[in-house]
Amino acid sequence: MDNNEIWVYVELSGSRIEPTSLQLITKAKAIADGRPVVAVIPEATTVQAETIVSQYGPDKIEILVDDRFAEATDEEVSDALFQVMDKQRPNTLLFPATILGRSIAPRLQAKLQTGLTGDCLDIYFKDTLLVQVKPTYGDNIMCDIVCPDRRPQMATVRPNTFRAVQDSSATTKIEKPIFEFHKEEAASILSTKPIINSSANISDAKTVIALGRGAYSEKNVKLANQLAAKLGGMVGVSRPLTDKPEFGHDDQIGQSGNTIAPDLLINLGISGAVQYAVGIKNAKKVVSVNTDKDAPIFAQSDFAYVGDATEFLTAMLGQVR
Amino acid sequence: MTVIEDQNRMLIQMVKEFTANELAPLDMEIDQKGDYPAGLFQRVIDNGLLKITLPSQYGGAGFDYTAAADALNKMAIGNASMAVTLEGHFKTIEQFTKYGQPSLNDKYLPSAGHRIFAFSMTEPSGGSNPKGISTRAVKQGDNWVITGDKIMITNGGLAEVYCILSKTEDDQMAVFVVDKDMPGFQFGKREDFIGLRGTPVGEVVLDHVVVPADHLLGKVGQGLEIGDNAHADARVLMGAILAGIIEHELGIAINYSKERKALTTPLYQLQVIQEKIADIAIARQNTRALYQKGAQQKVANQLYAETAAMAKSYGSRAAVRSGDEALQVLGGYGYSREYPVEHLIRDARAMELAEGTIEKMNLEITNAEIAK
Amino acid sequence: MKIVVGIKQVPQADSVKIDPQTNNLIRSGIQGVINPFDKNAIEAALRLRAQAGGEVILLSMGPDSYVTSLRDGLAMDADQAVLVSSRALGGADTLATGYTLAKAIEAIGDVDLVLLGRQSVDADTGQVGPIVAAYLGLPQVTFAESISLESANTIIAKRQLDTVIQDIKVTTPAVITVRSELNRPRYETPVNIKQSFDKAVTVWSETDLNLDPEQIGQAGSPTKVTSVYAPEKKGRQTTTLPTDPTQAVVELLNKLN
Repeated sequence: MDNNEIWVYVELSGSRIEPTSLQLITKAKAIADGRPVVAVIPEATTVQAETIVSQYGPDKIEILVDDRFAEATDEEVSDALFQVMDKQRPNTLLFPATILGRSIAPRLQAKLQTGLTGDCLDIYFKDTLLVQVKPTYGDNIMCDIVCPDRRPQMATVRPNTFRAVQDSSATTKIEKPIFEFHKEEAASILSTKPIINSSANISDAKTVIALGRGAYSEKNVKLANQLAAKLGGMVGVSRPLTDKPEFGHDDQIGQSGNTIAPDLLINLGISGAVQYAVGIKNAKKVVSVNTDKDAPIFAQSDFAYVGDATEFLTAMLGQVR
Repeated sequence: MTVIEDQNRMLIQMVKEFTANELAPLDMEIDQKGDYPAGLFQRVIDNGLLKITLPSQYGGAGFDYTAAADALNKMAIGNASMAVTLEGHFKTIEQFTKYGQPSLNDKYLPSAGHRIFAFSMTEPSGGSNPKGISTRAVKQGDNWVITGDKIMITNGGLAEVYCILSKTEDDQMAVFVVDKDMPGFQFGKREDFIGLRGTPVGEVVLDHVVVPADHLLGKVGQGLEIGDNAHADARVLMGAILAGIIEHELGIAINYSKERKALTTPLYQLQVIQEKIADIAIARQNTRALYQKGAQQKVANQLYAETAAMAKSYGSRAAVRSGDEALQVLGGYGYSREYPVEHLIRDARAMELAEGTIEKMNLEITNAEIAK
Repeated sequence: MKIVVGIKQVPQADSVKIDPQTNNLIRSGIQGVINPFDKNAIEAALRLRAQAGGEVILLSMGPDSYVTSLRDGLAMDADQAVLVSSRALGGADTLATGYTLAKAIEAIGDVDLVLLGRQSVDADTGQVGPIVAAYLGLPQVTFAESISLESANTIIAKRQLDTVIQDIKVTTPAVITVRSELNRPRYETPVNIKQSFDKAVTVWSETDLNLDPEQIGQAGSPTKVTSVYAPEKKGRQTTTLPTDPTQAVVELLNKLN
């Protein structure tokens, strides 16, 4: 009923390969148990993403080459994928759960008339079935989902759930399946521009550098602002710093200030009083820097650096591209 | 669920959302500035909140008083000032629908969806004891000419239409409707009150304002009855607002006592704190029961003035005391102006005075009980 | 412009829990509300109606209790609502749901635009929009963060990907799914709440729509949920970084990615 292969969709933005696609190749190889892993890349002529993708050791790469893929619509991509997949249905087809992956995969799903599980946090085989572990209700509930009878078993997988590892031991076959690019008349991409991040409110910021009394100095404020600019984030403060000239109530994190939910929070010289802790409990990753190894903030952190905030900031500025 | 119940549930949900997004975040700012920020009142109008009780034939939503009271209860959890502004408007609309002549209502009530209506009794010479009223209404042909000075009007300055308790030449009491655009109408000074600082409370000075005959609410001689009726309508809603303030106080005390620890024990596990939280919760429940009972009695055309007086008398004391207890739970933070507890106490304190003092409530309650 | 807005009723946020004994979802006593992203879709539809005229029709699939959400949408000022409701539709996954909604949209007829929220907050799939578009053979824009009407039958929408933002032009009829950044949904006003009860809510079953029994409900759903459970609660496991600042930062950046 299927050809036993695990296919991974390689998402491109210009010549940038979406890291999740590479992560999925590594993951697919890890769970393959003898099943061939195939990367499928719709790309423009000049991109040649296969040279990089092959370093991650898929058994095969299927390249669909047409210059119009540089700015193809969801329908154009899913139509091309449908053509190469309809006859020889792979066992499994994985997409990154990016905006693009989550747009193309369901459109293709309808064409292939199969099941798709969105935004998975884990995938593994149980006999012939791919168990797709999906969070629901805002990550409060987990579901195991399978697609028993139809192929391919499709899933989109959340970015950065797995690590991509290069594998030079494998030999990768490159093939160019036959397909026809069907231009979609009713839709076109007029332009594609890089994003300029301009988050104005600290409660919406994706990255927050938070300064407390223990790290307050003119120099650290400057360095923190530089780092925030590099990371596309914002600088916030704990309550004691709100009466400093550089900061105000709008910058305050904590119970009587803002509740924040950044992907990354770096606390500098913040002790971690309960009023502050309330404001940061929704932060995803918390890094804390404090000279006091017993500071309560460390218990609320994923990463602890016991040391000087200036040195830490300087090192960060040196290492972050 | 009946259609009415469904509609009421949707109204409450809407008010909760509006309050959470538009009012609660500004609660502290409103108190500190002593006014509504620019644009806020317009958003209240644009979202149709002035129309909650206004009958549908005048373009309103026509919700009954139980729904209106529950709505103001939810609003007051986020910001009591705006809830009091709406209370002043709703109770005045009630006097139009009950006592207004059709020609007056047709002329004025359609504008009540975007203009605030206010009811004024108090004068500089005395409290809300209507006997000492010195505002005069003199009959002149088909018109009435009104002269006087009214103070401490809820929404005074913000409202555009005022019901004025006056004395006629033959010393009878009557209520007349004046419009701020009428010649001889002037706004006086705004009070600088310690609580409910968003709600404007101000003065209106009338110098020979001429109103047509149909601007008389009810009949000459009905002035005190209308005043009492307006009081009762106001007190039901104030009970709802007080229950909301207590709810706010309770929320602050609970949140703090869950997060704050004495060594390793969260505060709420300490018996001394539990006593305070339980007291506040009981006060919330009692106040809610009283205002809802009052609203139900009003909707069912039963006597409700006594229950209304109880809701405000009990609720205002309970809200002040609960605020004090919540402050104690928060310790030094509670005493800080950075936390909202202290302003809730000041807000609640207003309602031991407004729409009749606690002493007046208790007099009325006693009289009603003795008469039974 | 005839606009259909697909909406879903979801449990009130954060109120869903797992029974630790049975591992079943505890659903009782949970108030259903309109999916928040769908409110953005309704708002977008109402604004387009204000610009171009026409009609906003709400469409949902689910049990009769979903009328609650449709009523909410009507109270935002949509014109009418359609509920596809039948026992036979129960247990539908995204494919069966997409098929059913597509058939309902065909039955409504002459639809210029289908708007949906980017995803539901309960199932978090975000698949139904593209599936509906595929069934109807219409162009799609997903995750739109702005929508502008360029002419009577062209729309330009912006879609933000991870590192770039696209301007996508579609000719109507089309399907667009929207992000919450698109707009701020209006409140239901008290007057609109009352009036929403005078608006039509049409209920269709699978026979009204001539649906293929093999493509609806459980039979039409390729995916099966085999188990539901609470995620492992992870407190923060603190990793202490090396004392040398550069080494600390290198290790941190490695582990963050």
